[in-house]
Amino acid sequence: MTKWDKMLIFFIIIISLSGLYFVKEVAVNEGAQYIRVEVNGKEYKKISLGANMEGKTIEVKTEYGFNKIEIGKNKVRMIESDCHDQLCVKQGWINAPGNVVVCLPNRLVIELEGSKESKVDEISH
Amino acid sequence: MSMKKLIFLALLVAIGLVLSIVESFIPIPFVVPGVKLGLANIIGLVSLVIFGYKEALIVVILRSLTFALSTGNFSGLFYSLSGAILSVTIMFIVYRFLSRYFSLIGVSIFGAVSHSFAQIAVASLIIENIRIFSYLPIMTLMSLFSGYFVGLSSIYLTKNLKNKNISFNFTNL
Repeated sequence: MTKWDKMLIFFIIIISLSGLYFVKEVAVNEGAQYIRVEVNGKEYKKISLGANMEGKTIEVKTEYGFNKIEIGKNKVRMIESDCHDQLCVKQGWINAPGNVVVCLPNRLVIELEGSKESKVDEISH
Repeated sequence: MSMKKLIFLALLVAIGLVLSIVESFIPIPFVVPGVKLGLANIIGLVSLVIFGYKEALIVVILRSLTFALSTGNFSGLFYSLSGAILSVTIMFIVYRFLSRYFSLIGVSIFGAVSHSFAQIAVASLIIENIRIFSYLPIMTLMSLFSGYFVGLSSIYLTKNLKNKNISFNFTNL
């Protein structure tokens, strides 16, 4: 057992513990993971939620109209729309997987999707 | 390849096979799938030290194949083969070029960590889900323990084998 062995063990312990911490941080953010934007039934854009997307806005300009989407911390809302009823803007934030914001005049659907389940249990070791 | 060396390599494969089978009977009190003691790594390390890279590679590949044959678990073959090949390669590099710094314990820890890394990489390829890498930290922690004890027992084993002057006879052949 040399000095370098001890340093290696120490190094690996540090790396593993920080990795565990990182994994836990990621696992806490279960729930909404993706935003799916659909226009006229077809997928227009898929955005994964994360800290780097916080506060960003997305503009969706299609033949049906113009919409502006704002992304928050694990939530999303419509902030601007050129439709006449403005229901989508009044709905406010959505944050749970499966929730949707619909702008019917512009045929636009924003859906929050949870992350996929881990498939680990399906594999036998 | 002389008959003596052939027999000794075959013995090492057989010992590795028995160690793998015995360790599959030992329950591990952790829920993480795929965590094993890795006792068979002793064989890879010992054959690496006594013979060299090529022979060690042959021994660990044969051990994986015979283990899959004896248990019938062919889905595990890819994991153990990739892990064995990568860990022997890494151990060879460390043993050859860094043995001034690391004892066999360090070498075997390198091998154990790279073994679990290869296993997880192959598993994430097979089930096409990168999130399985979240198991990596806990598996590297576990492989620290097994790597330490594998290295310790390899030190005793190689010391005894060298005392018996077996290694001297074999390296010339």
